[in-house]
Amino acid sequence: MSKAVIAGLGIHKFGRFGDKPYTDIGLEAVIMALRDAGIEWPEVQAAYCGRMYLPPTTGVRILTQLGRTGIPIVDVEAACAAGGVALKEAQRAISSGEYDIVLALGVEKMPRGFMSPEAIYDHWECLVGLSQNPMYWALEAQRYMHDYGLTIEQLGKVSVKSHKNGALNPYAMHQKPMTLEEIINSRIINDPIRLFMLCSPDEGAAAAVVCSEKVARKLTAKPLTIEACALRTCKYPFAQPPAYTYGTAVMNRFVTALAGAEAYEAAGIGPEDIDVAEVQDGDAFNEIVAYEDLGFCKEGEGGHLIDEGVTEIGGRLPVNTRGGLIACGEPVGASHLGQVFEIGMQLRGEAGPRQVEGAKVGLAHVWGAGGNSAVTILKR
Amino acid sequence: MGNANVDNPSSTGKKQVPIKEDFFATPLSPPDQVRLRGSKCRACGTVILGKSVACQNCGSQDIEKIVLSRRGKIYSYTIIRYPPLPPYAGPEPFQPFAIAWVELPEGVRILSPLVGCKIDESETDLKVDMNVELTVDKVCDDEEGNELMTYKFRIIR
Repeated sequence: MSKAVIAGLGIHKFGRFGDKPYTDIGLEAVIMALRDAGIEWPEVQAAYCGRMYLPPTTGVRILTQLGRTGIPIVDVEAACAAGGVALKEAQRAISSGEYDIVLALGVEKMPRGFMSPEAIYDHWECLVGLSQNPMYWALEAQRYMHDYGLTIEQLGKVSVKSHKNGALNPYAMHQKPMTLEEIINSRIINDPIRLFMLCSPDEGAAAAVVCSEKVARKLTAKPLTIEACALRTCKYPFAQPPAYTYGTAVMNRFVTALAGAEAYEAAGIGPEDIDVAEVQDGDAFNEIVAYEDLGFCKEGEGGHLIDEGVTEIGGRLPVNTRGGLIACGEPVGASHLGQVFEIGMQLRGEAGPRQVEGAKVGLAHVWGAGGNSAVTILKR
Repeated sequence: MGNANVDNPSSTGKKQVPIKEDFFATPLSPPDQVRLRGSKCRACGTVILGKSVACQNCGSQDIEKIVLSRRGKIYSYTIIRYPPLPPYAGPEPFQPFAIAWVELPEGVRILSPLVGCKIDESETDLKVDMNVELTVDKVCDDEEGNELMTYKFRIIR
């Protein structure tokens, strides 16, 4: 069984692009990935397209612009983990030996503001107003602050770091540093979460050419092995004590630990082996608890990592070096592959001013609606 | 903003219908006698709100109907400060409202709107572990002109 290897990566900047159609946004990322791998479109034997808000056959509509080569082109969806599913399918297609070169694509074009509730919540929840995404994060955050004494300043510092890193990333939506005061004094959306602690739904795309080790050796001097790509949904009990009814839409972060454990096991490594990570900071609080759920620190100690600068570029374990979702936004279907692009650049030593020196192993993590999570581990 | 989120029992004589049939174990009035319906797994004891085909924990289909306690406490809370997107059917103009995970003695946490709390520009008087009690409130009229009713929890002072 061959390991699956990433031989090419491409991205379309995340942000808002007016009337630019998603077919152009997706295509740019694909062309960049194909060029990066040094291959032509007709060499691709299958393609998987992660998206959530775009229409059926999005993958076909984007990719057949390059020629109708007759290959299978499949759209996949698992909310915020959609890009993880595309990568997982690509990994499986290669490691099973069925194909030698495939493409994983993630793309999205979403309207401004809160995410459309009817895509995620039951109708009755929408009528009552139990349907605004950040509220789930806010509920978790409020309780966590009560239990562990996490402060609003610590939450603010996460966002300061994201914006600082985003300012170094030409593909980020927000490329301007922000002060702690600006962040803490921005509008409260769902207490305790402030506007500038949140990510925005936006637009963008990212793509990866995935191939066998044998093909990769011919294509690139900098192959990135997919050591793990784990997909999970929430498992009951969702928390301790074991009793949680979250309305009907199960949205909680505890799935991260499940996907993380599976990914570490598949890769045969532990959290101590990770050199650089991208995690799901739908809001600042979720970055803090991702540290804990992914094993970067003990439960309740996430705030210390921010205070001590551990997760800054230059720290012991830099997290969200591209600026995370807070600076890049979350074009849902593209989000995970956008993280994979950043980890890839870091491991190849091509991350420019964001470069983490000597990074060999990187992790990318998403979670979201439906309790879906993906954790990918790459190695150079 | 102030204390606008008081519950609003019908005085219009319209028929009241539950927003989701399986949430309630009793008629919707009088409000102080309404009880929520739960499902308890006979195999492992897990409880959830409403009807359930199978246990969320162990998958058993041996489920019994139970009646949930009226009183519980706040596990966590937040404020919805900006209008939820359509089809949100709350009051016009929009008024910020509180929501909570309410923990009941049966060991279930229910996501619910709260009434009877103070909401200011940047603060509330809510606290973790506050005691709350079940009530019902009108959401909107449905297509047949009935009043669509939801459960909420009220702070016990």
